[in-house]
Amino acid sequence: MFYHISLEHEILLHPRYFGPQLLDTVKQKLYTEVEGTCTGKYGFVIAVTTIDSIGAGLIQPGQGFVVYPVKYKAIVFRPFKGEVLDAIVTQVNKVGMFAQIGPLSCFISHHSIPADMEFCPNVNPPCYKSKQEDNVIQEEDVIRLKIVGTRVDATGIFAIGTLMDDYLGLVTQ
Amino acid sequence: MADKSMPISVPSQKPLKLVKWKVKEGAFVSHGQILFLYSDSSGDSGEIKKYKVSRAGTIVSIKVREGDIADPGSCIADLEECRHPTVMKEMCAECGADLRAEEVQKHDVAVVPMVHSVPELKVSEELAQKLGREDADRLLKNRKLVLLVDLDQTLVHTTNDNIPPNLKGVLHFFLRGPGNQGRWCHTRLRPKTEEFLESASKNYELHVCTFGARQYAHAIAELLDPQKKYFSHRILSRDECFDARTKSANLKALFPCGDNMVCIIDDREDVWRHASNLIHVRPYSFFQSTGDINAPPPLPEEKPKLASGKNGSQLPISKQMPNLDAEPEKDSKDIKDKEQIDEKDKPVEGENGRIVSEKPEVIDDKSESEMDKSVEPPCVWVNTSDGQIEMEDADDYLIYLEDILKRIHKQFYDIYDSMGQHPIPDLKFIIPDVKSKVLGGSSLVFSGLVPTHQRLETSRAYQVAKSLGAEVTQDFTEKTTHLVAVRSGTAKVNASRKMGDGKGKVHVVTPDWLWSCAERWERVDERLYPLQRGGQSSARRPPAHCSSPPPPPTRRRTPSGRFMDSLNPLLSFSSDDIADMDREVEDIFNESDESSSDDEKKTTDDVDDEENISEDRLLALETNRSSQDRLMEDKEDNDSSDSNTEDGQRPRKRPRPSTPPSDDDVPPDDDDSSWNLMGAALEREFLAQD
Repeated sequence: MFYHISLEHEILLHPRYFGPQLLDTVKQKLYTEVEGTCTGKYGFVIAVTTIDSIGAGLIQPGQGFVVYPVKYKAIVFRPFKGEVLDAIVTQVNKVGMFAQIGPLSCFISHHSIPADMEFCPNVNPPCYKSKQEDNVIQEEDVIRLKIVGTRVDATGIFAIGTLMDDYLGLVTQ
Repeated sequence: MADKSMPISVPSQKPLKLVKWKVKEGAFVSHGQILFLYSDSSGDSGEIKKYKVSRAGTIVSIKVREGDIADPGSCIADLEECRHPTVMKEMCAECGADLRAEEVQKHDVAVVPMVHSVPELKVSEELAQKLGREDADRLLKNRKLVLLVDLDQTLVHTTNDNIPPNLKGVLHFFLRGPGNQGRWCHTRLRPKTEEFLESASKNYELHVCTFGARQYAHAIAELLDPQKKYFSHRILSRDECFDARTKSANLKALFPCGDNMVCIIDDREDVWRHASNLIHVRPYSFFQSTGDINAPPPLPEEKPKLASGKNGSQLPISKQMPNLDAEPEKDSKDIKDKEQIDEKDKPVEGENGRIVSEKPEVIDDKSESEMDKSVEPPCVWVNTSDGQIEMEDADDYLIYLEDILKRIHKQFYDIYDSMGQHPIPDLKFIIPDVKSKVLGGSSLVFSGLVPTHQRLETSRAYQVAKSLGAEVTQDFTEKTTHLVAVRSGTAKVNASRKMGDGKGKVHVVTPDWLWSCAERWERVDERLYPLQRGGQSSARRPPAHCSSPPPPPTRRRTPSGRFMDSLNPLLSFSSDDIADMDREVEDIFNESDESSSDDEKKTTDDVDDEENISEDRLLALETNRSSQDRLMEDKEDNDSSDSNTEDGQRPRKRPRPSTPPSDDDVPPDDDDSSWNLMGAALEREFLAQD
């Protein structure tokens, strides 16, 4: 799920940036340091929308570095259990398949793929195919899946998905 | 395994009426899913409640039908809990349960990492067996086998050295390491690699099995197989290897139903523990100054010199074969040029000339340690008109390898068909069998090949000949067909010349003939390797693909016959002695520990004394360790001694344990090291023979 929320971040700035462009540097640094990162609590920070305030800088004693507390708003992506999402298949193997939902990797076990779909390793690229051969899932395909579990680490999120529910599976465009 | 079936009983104290089932028998339910709707049995007036399941699993059987009334305590349905047979990053991939949180069931069911490039994904033994069986059935149906392909020095040769950017047939790519630094890799595919893969993939399912880092392995696979039609995702790299020194440990995980359909090609026998289903290929070497950049460490302290991070991203700049397409090559050349100028501020033309002229010296300098010179393909650097340096590469080994693989495949399926498809034949027997047909029926006699003090059976030449199916005898017999002689003029050569006049012809060949046969797995024409009169063949030592150290079991020596025992009497203690020494050392250790702590309290103490004691402690520690080591050394010594002595300096492992260090002076260091040096020298001499 996507959220637009207020977040805070501290920017540590080297003294060489002290000058007329200081605040620009702080903003630039915020974008590079924050966008694309992942926190366990809020998920992936997709994009910073607005920078609300840059607080008073605090010079670190003995170093000369300055710390700016920055308040900003950002769009974050936080996957939840039970959420239904569209994903792109990245790898298909005999144990299951891997898919990518933007920055989030997801694994779908063979057991969670409808039983009528079988793994076909002989074709290139390998795929899951239904008996009537009308339903084929292979690499680069878009599928709709439901998240059944997430592993949230300090540095990233990994999800387990399933295709065993109504309206899940290959998305035909 | 314990039965994980769990009854679902009536949730309330009063009897209830089951209104509607939300699931079917045999359905998989996840945590928190609604199983059924119920109301109080008193009547229809009661509100309808939902029953949510507390654990994920499969509904095995439903005991109460819709509309029935269940009494408290009775069982409504049986739920078989999820056993978590597939686990990804410690999460069950079927029910989504977090296995880190569930401390109740700590026994991990899923232990087998079955997918090459994703070691975090593990499946249970049971599921692995099932998948393995499916794989095997599929392979048999398609009449294929599995071929594990090594990369470095088998199909490609890669260097990180600076090379001329316009070498023909050399591919350049950049691997990004952790942080900002990365490295350029320059890779040359072995001649005929593409044809080889094309042909092998018809009979084999190809897997990459390399000690290169994951990033490197995938980059090379991309070069070899841009369409992913040969390898697909079956790439096993060092990051997924269980053991840094052998690849055989991963076989069990990749092929849970046994490796009897697995054939391996590698230039290193030792990393597969001398498996009999290995085809030992001749190492491919193109950049003479470079060996295998991803060689496994022979000793723990010798790390591979280049370790690249697995998190970095790979950036292939140019992967086209330059001789196929000129334009991209030009681009990459420009980039290369720029980089080199940046690095060295040196015009590229000058560098080309320098390298070309320098090359022969480089061969002499460095290649000796890496491999035997006799297998070096004759490489000539030629400047072509279009400004590219073309290098003639006479390596044609893959043609023979292709043939070997075809023969093995045919043999396997011949046997499979003739045995009525059951049981499945085992390549571990078929491959040696195919190999033993090469020189089947021949009977060899060696002359000047095996040193006189060595027994014929222990020589490498004997083992090579035997594995090819030839008989080897000490002297001429009725059946002798070949004489393998290092130089002419030996008694046996002369005898053979006399015999040759009379009865059936005995071929007199150089050892190169034997090595060629072993390389190509075919009976090479004897006329190509005649023994020159008066000439001496330099090929007494087997080439690299025949000369790797024999498997450990054959090298076992009896403790009494150990060389070290006869050299240094201090090293041959009985176990009682060692136990005694251990005790003694323990005492000293305890004593000195106390005394030194005392010393620390006494601030004004004799400095010399304190030094002495700390030295004693060190020595005591070392002695203690070494005496324990000695027990294991019987095994280790065989393996480690070769590499130790090659370094020229034997690590000082064992100070003399006999003298209690606290009583006497510390034994003078130089005395000890001279002993060691002498021992090392002698040992080197001794071991050099085998």
